[in-house]
Amino acid sequence: MKAKETPLLPVEDAREAALFFVVCALCFLAALAALSAKSTYGAARSWTAEVEGELTVSLPDVDRRAAEAARELIAKTDGVREARLLTKEEIDDLLEPSFGSRGLPESLPLPQLVAVTADPLAQFVGPNIERRLTEAGYVSAVDEHAEWAGDVRRVLGIARLVALTAVALLASTAVAVIAFATHAALLTRRDIVDVLHLAGARDKFIASLFERRFWLLGLRAGSVGALMSLGAAAAMIFAARSSGARSGLLPELSMDFYDLLILVLTPLIAGLAARLAARITVIRSLKSVM
Amino acid sequence: MTLSRLDLFDDVAVRLDGVSLRYGTSEDILSGIDLVLKPGSFSFLTGASGAGKTTLLKLLYLALKPSMGEVSLFGRPTSRLTRDQLSALRRRVGVVFQEFRLLDHLTSYENVALPLRVLGRKEASYRSDVQELLAWVGLGERMHAHPSTLSGGEQQRVAIARAVVTQPDILIADEPTGNVDPEMGSRLMRLFLELNKRRGTTVIIATHDLGLVRQVQAPVYRLQHGLLVQDAEYSDGTSVAGRRRTDPAKAD
Repeated sequence: MKAKETPLLPVEDAREAALFFVVCALCFLAALAALSAKSTYGAARSWTAEVEGELTVSLPDVDRRAAEAARELIAKTDGVREARLLTKEEIDDLLEPSFGSRGLPESLPLPQLVAVTADPLAQFVGPNIERRLTEAGYVSAVDEHAEWAGDVRRVLGIARLVALTAVALLASTAVAVIAFATHAALLTRRDIVDVLHLAGARDKFIASLFERRFWLLGLRAGSVGALMSLGAAAAMIFAARSSGARSGLLPELSMDFYDLLILVLTPLIAGLAARLAARITVIRSLKSVM
Repeated sequence: MTLSRLDLFDDVAVRLDGVSLRYGTSEDILSGIDLVLKPGSFSFLTGASGAGKTTLLKLLYLALKPSMGEVSLFGRPTSRLTRDQLSALRRRVGVVFQEFRLLDHLTSYENVALPLRVLGRKEASYRSDVQELLAWVGLGERMHAHPSTLSGGEQQRVAIARAVVTQPDILIADEPTGNVDPEMGSRLMRLFLELNKRRGTTVIIATHDLGLVRQVQAPVYRLQHGLLVQDAEYSDGTSVAGRRRTDPAKAD
């Protein structure tokens, strides 16, 4: 006698290979979308944390001495943690994207720039600096980075929402595909279902055969999809690092614990979704017969 | 073999009260059928092809719901039962399907053992019983063969072995000897009679093989134009062909 019992539900290689591929691709895209959502969330946090409380004060038509005096005034304003007068080289670097690397003509009138770090919780720091400088006879322009950081945050928020929508859409598509495949398997294997049903098998018993089959399929396909997305993410990180990240605008791409958690959860969610879809489909189908 | 625990308390194995069946708006396939089969009875169901024998059996083994009327098994009206309770009743009914309904990915042995797996029995607990049963129906050497490699007669014997392996309280067989030679047919009939006499299994066999019917002194029900009539010709040994609607009081 055979040591192991033959499964009551036979393996259907061709059909399951196709389904495996589809679920695998959906899991790959879903995991990648989830990683993107998480990445944009991290980027938004990183960017806003960097620029929150940062200001730049521009002082046109003043020399270094007057600028230094203005810096001291700024440093004494409420809420200011640090005020630093930028050097000529630093200003050249800032203007390099606009004027090239050959240096600026000496005759070009450049404003003096003061980089200010303020307490992020302090309010009206920018207007206070501007008022104090005006009272001291300076003409100044204060650029609060938080103003455009808000725009960045909003854009990233939209990007994250899009990524999360993509995750939800892909996950629900995977569930729908599995439900469809379960239904097809049920129709194909109606003979087995009928024989088991008439032999007195409970609905739960019959459903468990399909649940186990699709749980394993979801788990395997999800694992492969997650590994593929890990590979894709690693390739993107490698490409970003190879390019040198010259602008310094993009936060550094990296994998952390939560990224790995997404990858570990992908096959589990795929397996559970597949199992649930199979269960609902089979139970619903069985209820149509006596 | 022991008597079923519930048969001791149920005075009726099968009861049909005014059962009719129709599909959609078509005419009744079965019309106003009353039938009572007592526990331990042995009956035949005959009728021309298309008379509705298989349909009536489907109602008995709970594959179909009647359009009207009530089907009761062991004194329990099935229309009032939950799905799990219906499953529990089905486990007490063995069925030999006309088209066998063997699962081709399973061996003969595994097909016969299938109802036992449904009951949650471990393979070690039933192995020898299944092997013995297969040997008894002459398939001891074909235990590991898949149904597609078996002849029609062999498949039929596997189907019969599967129907009786759980020693059901009711055995319903649809043309159980249609594909076997007369000798095997007689042998299978002896199996049915043995189950009926020694264990008290209620047996109902649908057949148009009158030779088979003549082998056993048992009530014969005939389906004709959707109506069930009891045919006296073979049931009581007389030559008077009496046709009457079955009276529950006289049905056994």
